[in-house]
Amino acid sequence: MPASIREEEWFRQRDVLARFGELALKSDDLDEILHEACHLVGQALGTDIAKVMELQPDGTTLLIKAGVGWPSGIVGNVTVQANQTSSEGHALRTGTAVISEDIETEDRFEYAAFIRDAGIRALVNVIIIGAKDQPSYGILQVDSCKPRRFTEDDTKFLRSYANLIAAAVSRLRKIAEMREGEARLRVSEERYRALVTATSNVVYRMNPDWTEMQQLDGRGFLSDTAKPSKAWMLGYIHPDDQAQVMTSIQEAVWAKGIFALEHRVCRADGTVGWTHSRAVPLFDQQGEITEWFGAASDITELKRVEGALIEGEGRLRTLMEGIPLLVWRSGNEGKWTWASPQWLDYTGQRQEESRDWGWLQAVHPDDHEMARQAWHEAGKDGLLDVEFRVRRAADGTWRWHQTRSVPVRAVPGPGHPKGRILEWLGTTTDIEDLKHLQGQQGVLLAELQHRTRNLLAVVRNVARRSIDPSPGRNQYDARLAAMGRVQGFLARSSAWSVPLQELVNAELLAAGDGTSDRVIIDGPSVNLPGDGVQPMALALHELATNAVKYGAIAQPSGHLSVTWRLEGLGSTAQLVLEWRESGVAIPNGLPARQGYGTELITRALPYQLKAKTHLEFTLDGVRCTIALPAGTFRNEDGRT
Amino acid sequence: MTDSSLASLQDRRVLVAEDEYMIAEEIVEALVDAGAVVLGPVSTVGEALDLLVAENEIHGALLDVNLVGRTIWPVVDVLLARGVPMVLATGYEASAIPPVYIHLPRCEKPVGIRDLTRAIARQIAKLK
Repeated sequence: MPASIREEEWFRQRDVLARFGELALKSDDLDEILHEACHLVGQALGTDIAKVMELQPDGTTLLIKAGVGWPSGIVGNVTVQANQTSSEGHALRTGTAVISEDIETEDRFEYAAFIRDAGIRALVNVIIIGAKDQPSYGILQVDSCKPRRFTEDDTKFLRSYANLIAAAVSRLRKIAEMREGEARLRVSEERYRALVTATSNVVYRMNPDWTEMQQLDGRGFLSDTAKPSKAWMLGYIHPDDQAQVMTSIQEAVWAKGIFALEHRVCRADGTVGWTHSRAVPLFDQQGEITEWFGAASDITELKRVEGALIEGEGRLRTLMEGIPLLVWRSGNEGKWTWASPQWLDYTGQRQEESRDWGWLQAVHPDDHEMARQAWHEAGKDGLLDVEFRVRRAADGTWRWHQTRSVPVRAVPGPGHPKGRILEWLGTTTDIEDLKHLQGQQGVLLAELQHRTRNLLAVVRNVARRSIDPSPGRNQYDARLAAMGRVQGFLARSSAWSVPLQELVNAELLAAGDGTSDRVIIDGPSVNLPGDGVQPMALALHELATNAVKYGAIAQPSGHLSVTWRLEGLGSTAQLVLEWRESGVAIPNGLPARQGYGTELITRALPYQLKAKTHLEFTLDGVRCTIALPAGTFRNEDGRT
Repeated sequence: MTDSSLASLQDRRVLVAEDEYMIAEEIVEALVDAGAVVLGPVSTVGEALDLLVAENEIHGALLDVNLVGRTIWPVVDVLLARGVPMVLATGYEASAIPPVYIHLPRCEKPVGIRDLTRAIARQIAKLK
């Protein structure tokens, strides 16, 4: 070959190397690079046929990845096996350029059908090496339709060329790996964001010393910061909390630790809210902070509720410390946990002295047993109500106090239908004055009753001296006597009421016969309160007087039964009293008696006591029924 | 016997509230004798209030201050609002009467029925 031609070829090859090298560096598109590689190499060697075969992960299959001068359907589809018998396999194994100058005479290798079909006679294989420690990328193959010699220069050129391809492939593979990594990172970051979003409202990034906010995604809670901003402190943080936020930041930056703080913020809608903000530092390889990644949740509502709770507790405490009662808290069995300042002031005890059973030291020694017993019972009854004497520090006197408490219970649950007792909240009240007043009241009441009975006695005396003896005067005297008895009963009663049984007995006895075996008195234990007892007593007096004078008691054949019973319940309850005389012969037929007694029973009782009454003078004797409504009597349980 | 001091009671409708039946009866008798129409008598505050609701035309009232342990003041308030003259019968000292009612004419028990009817007659006459 003449030197001038060789030189021309050399220049052409250098030009191709330069042009391809430029492309291989610039382009990010591997297909473009490989196609151009084939195009240029074909030109450079004057064959116009070339291809790049990519070694597949199995290590033996070569896919025709790019090519020029081939019929359609070959590139991207056809594969060749790099085995012992193929020139491609040989090239891969040896790493050297494998040249077949004429495949017709070649006896080393076998050739794929498509090569023969394309009329290929000569070819050269050059390996495209892989990156460091990586398998080869594949083979660059330049083909010729004529038998051809490939010079040493050709193979040198091809090896340089193949190395350029290798460099480009390696570069692009790295880019692809990086992109893949980025994509994976993006997915993982999106997942992380989703997690943060699920648990927080706001995500933000800060520069290493927090002087600049890189970005903040406010999610409606705070307004967004899209571009880095140095004014974030003024924009987001409540003025009163800025100093505290700064301090926390400085501590976190100094410690390279986590920033965490609850503080007030200016919300997106302009109102003030509360946030719980946390940020973690991200480090570079030297361990320096590169940025801070933070999340902030909206705790405004939580804070509001918390505030209301604190306020409520504060109000309760103010109340407990403000009321003029000695307030305390206790565990079971009277083990105090807290005493109000009032208790401490009153008894002179210190807070710690009152704890547990310490408060008992302020209680009169004679009352200790009672107090302990009351606490023991309280556990069963769920109520503490006891009176004992407490020493007043101011003057050293023992003063009676009433102590009351009910337990504070947990929400009812299995095994605790009423709820487990959490603690006892109680008051101890000075009732010394009340006790004195009650005593005075008792004295006053006794005095009043004494005077009333004296007055009645005087009235009886005045009547006897003013009126000449007559049946009328006797009746008047007897009625005043009945009223006097009522006052006597009430004076003796502590409950301001009189047992019906005693009232009936007393009136029969006063009339002249209460013990006769012809008289039956029977009924349950019932009391009549002070308001109703007088009219009832007067009615019984009239009936008894009549019986003694004309009726069942006056006549030897007569019988009298006075019985009563309780009927109904609650507001419909009534006390029914029946006065029945029998075996009484009425002389001169039935009397048309419309005297004081009759009026009392048929008119006064219904008017004053809302009683239902019935009075009948039968041929057998007097029958009277008096039904008193609920509220005018008390049965044994003390209910009215 | 006609008493000229009771003339103002003629055809007047007078409410009587008194929890002692016998005393109530006596008052009613005296008022009827003087030509008045008696509304009641009633023995409880509740009955008295019911009566005020039912009766539009009331010219005067005789009221026991304490009816079976309850004070008459709710009834008094209604009567004051309606401008009805009244006389209170009471066993209490003046000190036990709330200041707002202290100006009301009252008779202290035990009081003669004649004094009571004259007192209400005077109040009704004043209004005429």
